[in-house]
Amino acid sequence: MNKRGLILAGIAFCAVAAFVCAETDEEVEAHKQVLDLTGAFTNDGFKLRDGHWAGQLKPAERALIAVNLYAGNQYWFSAAAANAKAKKIAVDLYDEGGKPLTTENYNEGERASAGFSPTMSGQYFVAISLVEGEPSTICLVYSYK
Amino acid sequence: MRFGIATGAVAFLACGTLAFAAQPAPLSQDQLAKAIKTDSLTIPTPGELFAALEKPGKPDWAGQYRTPIPTTYRNRAQIALNLGGLIADGFIAVEAQDSQQVKNIGTDIVKLAKALGVSENVLSRGNSINEFAENSEWDALHEELEATQNEVKTSMQSHRDQDLVILVSLGGWIRGTQAVSAAVIKNYDEQSAKVLRQPAVVSFIHTKINDISMDLRSEPLVKSVNEQLTAVEKLVAFQPGKGPSLDEVKKLNEAVTKLMEEIQSKGDAK
Repeated sequence: MNKRGLILAGIAFCAVAAFVCAETDEEVEAHKQVLDLTGAFTNDGFKLRDGHWAGQLKPAERALIAVNLYAGNQYWFSAAAANAKAKKIAVDLYDEGGKPLTTENYNEGERASAGFSPTMSGQYFVAISLVEGEPSTICLVYSYK
Repeated sequence: MRFGIATGAVAFLACGTLAFAAQPAPLSQDQLAKAIKTDSLTIPTPGELFAALEKPGKPDWAGQYRTPIPTTYRNRAQIALNLGGLIADGFIAVEAQDSQQVKNIGTDIVKLAKALGVSENVLSRGNSINEFAENSEWDALHEELEATQNEVKTSMQSHRDQDLVILVSLGGWIRGTQAVSAAVIKNYDEQSAKVLRQPAVVSFIHTKINDISMDLRSEPLVKSVNEQLTAVEKLVAFQPGKGPSLDEVKKLNEAVTKLMEEIQSKGDAK
């Protein structure tokens, strides 16, 4: 790993560690899992937001998070569960009126991503759902370029 | 809608399934109203705003520098607002790929953060900013600036200064919008101007400010900024799909410039 990689890994570790007191072990683990997933996007020039959301979802339950996106940018929203108790999760995107949007999707069991390039700046909603599996802690982050 | 967002990244994720998903059912207004809104995800960074503006062509970011602001404020709300503004300045310098400017701003960020008594971790962030700037690691600087902002906010929360957190975000949003609206005015086209549509960001910040303690909300600077936000919210609420006219962008720029001048004034904030 080069010097920048080491520093970034250190920052990521500190960011995770800083939340240890405030977050459960499962939330920290889900955050680590999702950071692992987003590495692919970072390699492709996407910048990772430092903020995240983490929480527990029951089967067929959904968390809805408001985000504000800019026309012209490309976004990937990624979610991962803390462990394999979550068999399948999904990430969906809605516009400010609640209309579902067509996204480019990646799914692999307890990890999922949705890619979207808005043509209109404004508020959007990201839905994370536990489609199959036992109640699980899931973490969401997003990347942009 | 553009597809093929990150074909390289998706190729890397070869074990998974890539698909264009079937669309789920629409959400009701009640569901939308209950959506989770957080400072760290719902409010975009100045870097996101600047990235969007760069798509049609790189603006003259160095033309958006401002003269250095004082770092000797005594009013905590004013320090928080200016800290957010300085972090936005850092993003501007990163877009301009100006190492020295990034380092200067990094030093000022640490000075203001110290004045608020935030954690020593912020000092090491300052060192990282210097190192990344020295090595022209611009992507890393984007992440480091946001991480610095979050470090400051986390430290504020642990020092029972959570009411100041939203002021840091607000200062950053105002300074970012000032720089972008000025860049749009310099080289106006409707497509670029569309990035300025962000009523929900202002509405969210406004709501959060109305939740802070009455003492802080009553401070002259906070009170004045909060009152002016109502007008600013209207200035960024363009019709969906339609960009603002040059005149509308000028009005927005005037409003946020006035706010920024008040925030950075070394006058008599309580």
